[in-house]
Amino acid sequence: MREQFPILNRKINGYPLVYLDNAATTQKPQIVIDSMNDYYSNSNANVHRAVHTLAGEATDGYEGCRTTLKERYNADKVIITGGTTEAINLVAHSWGKTNLSPGDAVVLTEMEHHSDIVPWQMLAKELNIELRYVPVQQDLTLDMEIFAASLVGAKLVCVVHISNVLGVCNPVDEIISLAKENGARVLLDAAQSVPHQSIDFKKMGADFMAFSAHKMCGPTGIGALLVASDRFEEMEPFMGGGDMIETVTIRGSTYQTNEHKFEAGTPKIAEAIGWNAALKWMESIDFEKEHTRLLDIARWLSQELRSMGMTVYGRHDDNDAAVVSFLHPTMNSEDMAHLLDARGFAVRTGHHCAQPLLERLNITGTVRASLYFYNTREEVESLVKYMREILERFA
Amino acid sequence: MNYSISLQELIDEFQEVDDKLERLKMVFDLSEEVNLLDSQFWSESTRVHGCQSEAHVLVSLNDGCILFQAGADSKLVQGLMGVLSIAIQGIDAQDALELTPDFATEMGILNSLSPSRSNGFRNMFDKVMKEIRQEM
Repeated sequence: MREQFPILNRKINGYPLVYLDNAATTQKPQIVIDSMNDYYSNSNANVHRAVHTLAGEATDGYEGCRTTLKERYNADKVIITGGTTEAINLVAHSWGKTNLSPGDAVVLTEMEHHSDIVPWQMLAKELNIELRYVPVQQDLTLDMEIFAASLVGAKLVCVVHISNVLGVCNPVDEIISLAKENGARVLLDAAQSVPHQSIDFKKMGADFMAFSAHKMCGPTGIGALLVASDRFEEMEPFMGGGDMIETVTIRGSTYQTNEHKFEAGTPKIAEAIGWNAALKWMESIDFEKEHTRLLDIARWLSQELRSMGMTVYGRHDDNDAAVVSFLHPTMNSEDMAHLLDARGFAVRTGHHCAQPLLERLNITGTVRASLYFYNTREEVESLVKYMREILERFA
Repeated sequence: MNYSISLQELIDEFQEVDDKLERLKMVFDLSEEVNLLDSQFWSESTRVHGCQSEAHVLVSLNDGCILFQAGADSKLVQGLMGVLSIAIQGIDAQDALELTPDFATEMGILNSLSPSRSNGFRNMFDKVMKEIRQEM
């Protein structure tokens, strides 16, 4: 598989790249790069209204991505967005503003990415709604008793499927079922789960599900919001302009009734074509087998890091992602990342856009290694070997 | 620009080393060169803003010459403080104001760092120069 990713041939400071920052973004196979290049070289045109050949090809390419997403995730409505963050903001504006009233409660968790906190804080200020945060316990799981208690009178639950810091997979079936019993809608932030799991949106029963292309070998700048049909009817557009209208007069406008209603302006055509290529490329991957392989490597890495005196923030249960967040007792995490980069290892440091979670863990940041399909056991073994070397020299 | 002998030696030393890891090791070692500002004296007025780590500097003048104290929670950042210390410690304030951050570029250390760290170095340099002007 590795030979399909041209960037993996790159040398960094004279050493082979070992890319372990996949929870931030994944690398792209040649087929994705070629598909976007081909669009710009041969089919570039704006979508939908024009009748010429190029416009037809561009429209087929763009809408092809939506069709693939609908089939892959079993969803009736797929709104193409700029990514997970934009998708969550879309729910806040298009559904939240028309379906939440002053005094209503929205349930969040301390495990959320900032993208699933800030839009709700902004809306809370505007609409005077209450935000309730479910705490993360010492074992890195959500406190489900507090979650259940928080649902009383709540209208919406916003929950991350897999934590980008801990790799912990939350019990979404239980969360959705409890929320439904209490009449609350559910928005699932699936940015970290969709790249690793096969998900049936209708079967799962969430009302909204947001995710990004670039974390699953697709291009940056594009993502999707899957919406349950009933919720779709409750949404009002919040961005106006081209592509989302049916008619415009100086007296007023009418809107499209399908997903285009929420896709104002020229859409992400090349990106949709690239994402479609990535989704089709992924069809040949055995997700379960890969998940097991990567999780085994993550468990081994965690064990090795602990033996070096590091604290590992993760539990790596069977459904968790192959994300390993860790801290050395004395070496600054950014210093460590610089030393790792000197030999070609790409890891992430910092708060990972999840400051409330880090506050709960009483830390300000971690070093994070996150794995994807093209990572090998040998790469992670070389990371461990080199890390022992730098600790000996620098710690 | 003409640098002091010790700064010029440091620039030459860094220019001779190509390997990024060895350059980082040299910066780490320079963390020992800093006249340490203990964390108990860190405050909002000593903080270097725009630096991802906790970085603090304090500048005073003694007979017109610079007394530079600094501290950080990162050895690498403290090493950069060591570089600045070699450049300005004990020299005449007027001479120090002639300096630009170009000496760090000439050493090649800024290229070895992430954009946030090299911006942090520039912010530290600017803060120190501003404080020197205020002390004069």
